[in-house]
Amino acid sequence: MSHPDVETRIDAYLDGELAPPDAAEVEAHLAECGRCRRFQADRLALRAALEGVMPRREPADALRVRVRNAIAAELPMLELPARERPLSLAGVAAPTAAARPARQATWRWLALAASVAVVAVGSWRLGAARAGSLVLADQVVASHVRSLMPGHLSDVVSSDQHTVKPWFDGKLDFSPPVHDFAGRGYPLLGGRLDYMDGRPVAALVYGRRRHVVSVFVWPAREPERDAAPVTRNGYHVLHWATPEFSYWVTSDIGLAELKDFGGMLRLADSATSGARAER
Amino acid sequence: MLPHLGAAHGLARHLTGNDADADDVVQEAYLRALRHFGGFRGNGAAQSRGWMLTIVRNTAFTWRRRRRPEAEAAEFDETLHSETAGEDFGEELARRDSRETLAHALGRLPPDLREVIVLRELEGLSYKEIGDVVDVPIGTVMSRLSRARQRLQAALLAGKEG
Ligand SMILES: [Zn+2]
Repeated sequence: MSHPDVETRIDAYLDGELAPPDAAEVEAHLAECGRCRRFQADRLALRAALEGVMPRREPADALRVRVRNAIAAELPMLELPARERPLSLAGVAAPTAAARPARQATWRWLALAASVAVVAVGSWRLGAARAGSLVLADQVVASHVRSLMPGHLSDVVSSDQHTVKPWFDGKLDFSPPVHDFAGRGYPLLGGRLDYMDGRPVAALVYGRRRHVVSVFVWPAREPERDAAPVTRNGYHVLHWATPEFSYWVTSDIGLAELKDFGGMLRLADSATSGARAER
Repeated sequence: MLPHLGAAHGLARHLTGNDADADDVVQEAYLRALRHFGGFRGNGAAQSRGWMLTIVRNTAFTWRRRRRPEAEAAEFDETLHSETAGEDFGEELARRDSRETLAHALGRLPPDLREVIVLRELEGLSYKEIGDVVDVPIGTVMSRLSRARQRLQAALLAGKEG
């Protein structure tokens, strides 16, 4: 074996990927060639250095929770058991009949992963619920930012709550509370349908000077605690729930202003839900 | 327990070059795995890891295509790779120097070379497994690994002399 032969094989040799006869030849050459031994020593040094550069790092718990929540959110949208779907993934082979048992095995681990997400909400409720709400906060901001693109703000453009509220009839399985705060500097601009937390929701759009405030409302699943405000890319997000509705509010106006606005919404909501209860 | 999350995360970090994008890629990859589990052929832990890494790799590839190519090399986050533990100061400095050189060179490798070296060094995949993930023959894996190491070695030597 020549020097170049050894140099091209040294990596496979050190990786233990050389067939035994080839490995024996490399070893024989190394035993009598100082130049190739130096080459090997350099490669060993490189490998050691690479280990320092690529430390094995455990993924953050936040990522774990985030992925679980994403899986849990997706599960209801999937039909079970699996039906064949067109694969858009290069490199992942199309299913065959022979692959069926293996497929079920994979399904099991994914189902397991997702069921852990559900269990997690039960067992360390607060932590998981908080992580879930952080994921939702991301969705809320993303939707708000998307809506700011031309033509996406509202499906129904009206400053009249008596136009906006009925517009949702038949489009949602609930009637969202719609208020106008024009007199207090937050005119109603309109509303649109959105999709959040795995369900269709109402998005109400309010103006504040040249800024836009989005309010997402949907029926509360279960009592929740009020969450602390979070900020994503300069957008503040407020969240609270009444016995009836889950509220998410976001805008790029100041946090104090947004909290004021949140206070108005709460007050208006409690006034109308009181009225509903009396009826 | 999410299977292979550590491996998925490790690969995604090196293919995207930063933690935030890596997290996005990992989440997307698991959702793809969930939606497309019909495509799964392998059985057993090693094969399902290869399958998951294939999806991570292809998801990162889609991610990369969505971005401007010139931004990719420039934005590589070297702080990802530099972790230092105090010791003798001069020695530490020299080591950190070569580590940064190497991290930089790794981030600058073309994606087809970077992915094979990461799969090998970080995950310890066999050439056969790497070939399955990247979808190339074993011979190609071997030559890409060799070229990747040659470039890293050259960068390391240049850094020492400079
Ligand atoms: Zn030689």
